[in-house]
This record gives sequence, C-alpha cells and structure tokens, in this order.
Amino acid sequence: MADKICDRPRREKVSFTGMVLKPMLTTLTQFVRCSLRGRPNTILYPRERQVLPPRYRGKHLLSFTKCIGCGQCVDICPNDCMWMKKIVDPELGKIERPGVDYARCLFCGFCVEICPTDALIMTSEYELSSYDREGMAFEPESLRKDDIVVHEPKQSIKVPAVDFDKCTGKEQCAKVCPVQCIRMVDVDKTGKRMPVIDLTICTQCGKCAEVCPEKAIEMREKLVVMFERPLPVLELEKCTGCGACFRACPSQVIYMAEMPGTEKTLAGGKKGKPKKRAVFALEKCVGCSRCANACRFDALSMVPESKLTSAGKGDAGKKGAGKK
Amino acid sequence: MDLWSVSYDLTNLLVDIVNFFIYGLGWLIPGSIGEAFDSLGDWLASPGVMRIFTILMEIILLIVVALLNVVTLIWIERKLLARFWDFRGPFYVGPLGYFQNFADGLKFFLKQIITPIKADKFSYFIAPVIFIGSSILILGTIPIGPEFGITDEGTPVPGSVILAFAIFAVAPFSILVAGWAENNKFTLIGGMRSAAQMMSYEIPLLLSVASVIVLAGSFSFVDVVEAQADMWYAVPLFIGFLVFLVCIVAEVERIPFDLPEAEAELVEGWTTEYSGMRFGFFMMTEYVRGYAGCAIAAALFLGGWNGPAIIPDEFWFLIKAYMVFVIFVWIRASLPRIRTDQILDLGWKRLLPLAMLNLVIAVVLKTLGVF
Repeated sequence: MADKICDRPRREKVSFTGMVLKPMLTTLTQFVRCSLRGRPNTILYPRERQVLPPRYRGKHLLSFTKCIGCGQCVDICPNDCMWMKKIVDPELGKIERPGVDYARCLFCGFCVEICPTDALIMTSEYELSSYDREGMAFEPESLRKDDIVVHEPKQSIKVPAVDFDKCTGKEQCAKVCPVQCIRMVDVDKTGKRMPVIDLTICTQCGKCAEVCPEKAIEMREKLVVMFERPLPVLELEKCTGCGACFRACPSQVIYMAEMPGTEKTLAGGKKGKPKKRAVFALEKCVGCSRCANACRFDALSMVPESKLTSAGKGDAGKKGAGKK
Repeated sequence: MDLWSVSYDLTNLLVDIVNFFIYGLGWLIPGSIGEAFDSLGDWLASPGVMRIFTILMEIILLIVVALLNVVTLIWIERKLLARFWDFRGPFYVGPLGYFQNFADGLKFFLKQIITPIKADKFSYFIAPVIFIGSSILILGTIPIGPEFGITDEGTPVPGSVILAFAIFAVAPFSILVAGWAENNKFTLIGGMRSAAQMMSYEIPLLLSVASVIVLAGSFSFVDVVEAQADMWYAVPLFIGFLVFLVCIVAEVERIPFDLPEAEAELVEGWTTEYSGMRFGFFMMTEYVRGYAGCAIAAALFLGGWNGPAIIPDEFWFLIKAYMVFVIFVWIRASLPRIRTDQILDLGWKRLLPLAMLNLVIAVVLKTLGVF
C-alpha cells in the first residue's frame, strides 16, 4: 500500500561502494598512473607541439604549375569560402587561382579531393589566426608552393586523349582496339568522324595511340576523382560558334570545328567563312563546367556522367541535341 | 618556536622605535607639552600596554603564517586536482606555478566592483565582512605548535575549541544575509541552501568534537593535543573521525557539499552578484576555512604536533593538516555534488546516529579509565 501512495518512480539505490569508493578509486588510479608516467596527458601548447599525422587537414598549399584553374574547388566548397583570383604571373601569364578564407573554411577537404591535378593539398599547419577578418582570407599567392609533396596521390589512369584538329577519322584506332571501346561517331554537320572512347571498358593499353597515323591520340595521365563528374552537353541549335567555351576550358577538351555549307554569301558573291561549332573530346574533360558558365546562349548544360552514360553517348549525338 | 617571546621582542623593537621619536619630541619641545610626550612614551612601554600589543602581534604573525599556508594549499589543490584529472595545473608563474594564485589575485584587483541597483546596500556590504572576518578569526584560535599559538605570557587560550567552532558557525548566517541582500533568485536559493545544510551537519560535527573533549577533558587545543601524546584520537574514535571529516567538508562548503554555490545549477550561488576583489576574497576565504578545517582535524584527531623530534613540532602539525587537505582534494576530484534532500538524509539519518554511537564509545572509554 505504502508503495502505491507515491507515484514517483523509485530511484535506483546506489550503494556506498558505488557512490563513494569506486569513484575515489578511479581518481586514485588516474593519479598514480599520471604520476608514474611523470607527464600528464595535456601538451604545453606554445612550448610543445603535437606531432600531427600527415593527413591532418590544415592550411592549404597550392601548386601554381599543377593547377589548371578549373575552379572546381570553389564550386564544391560547402561554405563558399574559396574564390578564384585573376593573377598575372610572370611565368604562367594570365591565370586564375583559388584563395581560401579560413574564417569560413571548415577543413572538410572536398577541394583537395576534387582537384583533378593534385595541385591542392592540405598541410598540418594550423596556426592561422589573425588580428582582423581580412587577414583570415589567404590570397592564392600566400598559398603558393609549386613543389608540393602529395602525401596521398590520387589514383592515376592513362586515357587516350583525342586531338580533334588532327583527327581525320580513319578508324585505325577503332579497328585496333582489343576491347572495342572505341566507336566512330559522326560529328553533326561537320562531316567529320571522330572516335569516342568508353573509359569504363578501356584497358589503357595505348594501341590506339600507337596506330594513329596523325598522332591524334596521345595517352594522357588522368587522376581519378571520387566525385561524380558532370559532362557538358551541347544543344547544337543554340550554338553560335562564338568560341567562349573553347577559351574557358582549362584542359583543352573543346575544339572549334567548321560546319561546311553554312557559309553566307557576301555582297561580292564571295562566300564567307563557315559557321563553327564546339566539339568535345570528353576523355580529357575534368567536369569543371566552366564552358557551361561561359556560354552566353544557354547552349551548354552539365549532365552528371552516370545519366549521360545511361542515355548513351551516341544517342545524344544522333538526336543532334547532344554532345560531342 | 615561542610565539609569545618572538612577538614580545618584535613589539619591544617597534615600541622602542616609536618611543625614540616620542622622547625626541619631548626633548625638543620644552614645557608641559614635552612632559606629556615623555609620559606617553612611558605609557607605551608600560607592561600592561606591552602585553596587549604583544597579543595583537601574535595574532598578526599567526594569521600571516596561516595565510601563507592557505596560499600553499590552493596551489596544492590545483596541482593535485590536475594530477587526479590528468592535466598539468598552474605551470607558468613562478616555480611549478606557485605564484599563479598571486597572479589571479592581481587580476581580481583589476576588476571593477559592481553593486547591483536592487541590492540591499548595507547587508550587501556587511555580509562579506562577516564572512571573511569570521573565517580569518578562526585561524587565530588554532595553535600550530605547543608554543606557536595565541598565548598570554605562555598561557594558552582556554576553551579555544569551543571558540573555533562558534566562529565557524557564524559564516552560514552571513551567507544567508548575502544571498538575501543581493536580491537575486540564485543567491537567495544559495543562502537558503546554506542554512538547510547547516541544519544537517552542525549537530553531528559538534557531537564528534564533544567525544574528543570528553576524552581529553579540556576545551583547549593545547590540552587536547597534549592528551594525544600516546595515541591519536582517530584510533579509538575512528567512527567519530569519519563523521568529523564528512561534516568538516560540509562545514567548509567544498565539493561534494558545495550546495550554496552549486555552479551547475545556481551560476555561482550566493556569490553570484559579487565581483572583483570581493569575489576574490570569497574564494580565498573558502580556502582559509578549508585550512582551518584541516588544522582542526589534525589537532583533534591526528595528534596535532606530536611526532618524532626529527623535524620541529610545527612542521608535524602542518604535514598532518596538509594530509587531511589532500583527502579533501581527493574527495573533490571524485565525488559529484549531492542534493539538498540527500545532505539532510545523510546528516540526520546516518551521521547523527554514528556520532551518538561515537560519543557513547568515548564516554565508555573515559568511564573505564582507558584515557
């Protein structure tokens, strides 16, 4: 009866041993351990420094020579703490390189992970404080170190990179390919054919590069990035052939090809220059979407690689709305 | 070391220096004014006045020594807590961080002292005076050695044990006044908790002290310690010693009995609205009370300054007091703060019967003539 009067949940009884003696024993053990070791667990920070692991994510270092200025680090930054700065460098000319605002950086390392050339690394330097907010924003020049040592290089594969200007469409590469990953595709309205290489099948054997009579295919090192790569898809109707994408591309994916039969007849009866269109050699593409941003006619859209493959790269070409 | 003779010599020196000027003035100034200066010098050097000044000098010396110990205790607590919790504690200021306390005190001096608008000004001012004054007064009652205590020409203070505990019990009153005067809910709760806590620990504490007094047959610290020359009272009165330790921790309001200033619940409890050096003095005073509690425990139960004559008696006393304080620190490092109802449970249901049992043991031992 007496128990039912009280609605409170009954407290669990803790004995004297569990309440007093055990905690005291615990602290005593800690005391003895701490005294025997002669050194507590803490580090006297300004005097001693912790030895940080090489994968520690601290201040960035940027190799200006490796960086291609694609700006993917800026795009993927979840805190929007990076920006591309236009620099005129005596050796490299006009370039764009990323700077980092450490007041906003969360050191997630996405920028390093997505870098297609391993130009950006994170070091174990963590003393980044400053007296004002502007001092926390590190310009690319202060991050520059051209001979960086990458502790954990990304896996590199060799891909056959097609040079569309040189390619004559003789199909030698498609014939010699042992796994038949090369397909010759008509490039719409240019009257030319170019090889499209399915990198998921390609064994990187390099036979296509050897057999090409024009040396239009070269085996190029490419780093495997963990993030999914968006690829540009061209709507040919909207393309004016202005070449903005060609100039924006940091890795020479885009070639401007003439479309025969589109020449305008000028006043004197002469024929003018034919219109041009963009042609993409997607093997080299790093997926930075600079071309799409540069296009002022909305002709380019970035489609994730997986969706593009499922739709079929060739299909896009057949429809004429697509890629390549 | 004989505190009386030392302070008598010091007082003598001071009076000589003062009298040099007074007699000089008397020599320079002719007439009745000069004679007045001469008689002032004579009055200062008279035995009765010298006796009063010597006692004052004794008190100053004793409290200075005790405060030095308090500073050391704070340093010991910080270092030991660090080791119990696996970090380093004060490190940079002075050797092994010993002067960190002085640096902290200096920092408190630089802070502004703020009085809340809604506070009761007089009580707000008088509460810390009572708290700090009474706490430092305890130090004056505790002799460190057989002759290193307040004496009147070698006669120790009679009833100093009773005096010490009477002064000890003043502080909760000032805490209640402070908590009320600050006009803040946290401080008020802190003050009320202090009063409730006093209800629970004061009676077992005094009962365990009573057993010691029964065995020793005297109210004086010196007599109690001399009576323990053969055996520490902690041995026959072991239960009483444990009760006393628990109660004295509650008395000096240390973790796990720091209900009046429970940081997690009451911000800083009754000291919330005090700032600057007032707060600094509160913090220091807590350690003054801690030192007093340890010294009383050492004197009543651990044989005081009795020990092999390798080192002076005073050092024996301090070593024992420090050991008790180490136990305090150990308890603080280990135990969580208990609730108000738990401390009342503990005081009335556990400690009071144990203290009564202990008193019975003491009375039986005394009746059988063992002591």
